[in-house]
Amino acid sequence: MEAYLPFSQQNLWFEIWPELCLAIGALIVLGVNLFYKADSQTGFSGKLAILFQAGLLVFHLFDYLAWHHTFDRDTFSGMLRQGFQGDVMRSFFLLASLLVSIIGHRYLLKHSLRIGEFHHLTMLATAGLMLLCQSSHFLMLFVALECVALCFYALVAYNRESSKSLEAGIKYLLFGALSSSFLLFGIVLLYGVASNPEIWGASFLGSELRDPLSFDYLGDLIRENSDHLLIRTGIALVIAGIAFKIGAAPFQIWVPDVYHGSPMPITAFLSVSSKAAGFFVLLNLVNGPFAGASDFILPLLGFVATFTIFFGNLAACAQRNLKRMLGLSGVAHAGYLLVAIMASMHFPGDSDRAVWVLFFYMFVYLVASFAVFAVMSLADLEDDNEHEFSDYEGLAKKHPLIGFALVCGIGSLAGIPPFAGFIGKLLLISVALEAGLYFSLGAMIVGVVISIFYYFGWIREIVFHPRPVFNDDEPKHDAWTKLTDISMIKFILIVLTLVSLVFGIWQGPFGDTF
Amino acid sequence: MESVTPHYFLFLAFLLFGVGFLGVVIRRNLLIVLMSLELMLNGVNIALVTFSRVGLNLDGSLFVFFIMTVAAAEVAVGLALLVALYKKRQSIFSEDATLLRN
Repeated sequence: MEAYLPFSQQNLWFEIWPELCLAIGALIVLGVNLFYKADSQTGFSGKLAILFQAGLLVFHLFDYLAWHHTFDRDTFSGMLRQGFQGDVMRSFFLLASLLVSIIGHRYLLKHSLRIGEFHHLTMLATAGLMLLCQSSHFLMLFVALECVALCFYALVAYNRESSKSLEAGIKYLLFGALSSSFLLFGIVLLYGVASNPEIWGASFLGSELRDPLSFDYLGDLIRENSDHLLIRTGIALVIAGIAFKIGAAPFQIWVPDVYHGSPMPITAFLSVSSKAAGFFVLLNLVNGPFAGASDFILPLLGFVATFTIFFGNLAACAQRNLKRMLGLSGVAHAGYLLVAIMASMHFPGDSDRAVWVLFFYMFVYLVASFAVFAVMSLADLEDDNEHEFSDYEGLAKKHPLIGFALVCGIGSLAGIPPFAGFIGKLLLISVALEAGLYFSLGAMIVGVVISIFYYFGWIREIVFHPRPVFNDDEPKHDAWTKLTDISMIKFILIVLTLVSLVFGIWQGPFGDTF
Repeated sequence: MESVTPHYFLFLAFLLFGVGFLGVVIRRNLLIVLMSLELMLNGVNIALVTFSRVGLNLDGSLFVFFIMTVAAAEVAVGLALLVALYKKRQSIFSEDATLLRN
């Protein structure tokens, strides 16, 4: 009965009010789209979704910065663990989904795609992501993960008129479902060990309320039996399932294809939110239940990180299609972030320096990626999936603001000094040094040097003058002529560029934790 | 007479999971691939129920319902995508899904 008492004594639903608001807002957007006839011309439900999410973001920031002093607590009978870290992750996902909605608004109107469902699914996916990174129970983790995945399957295949989008959707669905079954099998093996009343430690660990799927109980059990075969297999399978989501090698095969085929705002959503969720979950796992098995996990992650960095960077060099190149460079970024995860396993506690470095890097990655994807969504090409280097020829001369924002975004992704990406990489290197991960550190530095090659190829096209045009050449289609209705995207570009520049010099609230 | 121990059920579960995985890897008809994915999830379900029964803990049996619901939702989305793809391309074979390449 103890578990029921909190339900009658306090209003637990208030603990997840941002998620509830998002879900209700998603329904409102869908309803407005359904009953307001002129919606597809005016885009009213899109504007509503943007306003709603902006308001929610502001309120949420206030909520945990000013109104409530957030302390770590278990809610919903141990299903969720909430606290300061969880609130930071929530704000991250809200910001990302707001930017996706803003980029998506113009994109949908321009490509005459349906408006309501896009924002509806984006908001639902975000609510799922926010629950996912706060879950402290494997049942909750699985359900939240699937809620996110189902929204993403539909969003990737959103452009039903395009065979490429559908193909990307099918590929994402098959690989996503495969990865969830691996994750599930891992969970089942862990459950099989934990539910066994005969296992070593079961008698003196949390005896009266044994909850074999909760992170706490599993953490104690894994610490006692870290060399049990089933536990090791289970951990490896769970990590493999998450590695699929973050696109770490050798599970990165889906990344270039899915990024290539999906609509541009969804490519941005995938590369930022979906990846960040994988990292936040992995962070919660390796600092929580799997902490006892770090002898086994560290070499595994070290191998995966090194392989991911090399594969992502080398494969990105060979790409001509920019969406594929960005996808593979995102794979390389996942490798760098895995190094931060390994560093955080070396430090004690679950709120150490490496965790904040990871958050900072993720935030910088969000800012840079959205700047790049926002500019790419402006391009007016015959086939929106085929962005090539030559389409960006002389962009800085034609549209100085857009060109500058794009160069700043790419520079931040590459990690060139005046931008925030440089500080992120520097901090990553410093924590890796502190944790003594010299091998991964070497791989990371080599990877960064390789990445400069392809990022600079793009910057060269944007900044330097177009090649001389000869009369007998067929006239090249100019992608940058029809730039109408871009005031909102211009505004976010200015903000994102400023953030990239400012955080390169002054790290603000993050500065104290380093 | 030899009684049926949990090992039989676990062996069946692993077998189903393995057969499903093999199906996902080697079959080229996307419908069959979706069915193989379901088979993998069913293998997981049997293992969960077995562990739940052996460990005298009901969480595993509860988990099965969530997995079944999620699997149904996944198949609904997957079949919708397959139908849309078939209308576009008149093929649901994986070797014909080759538009996305560098």
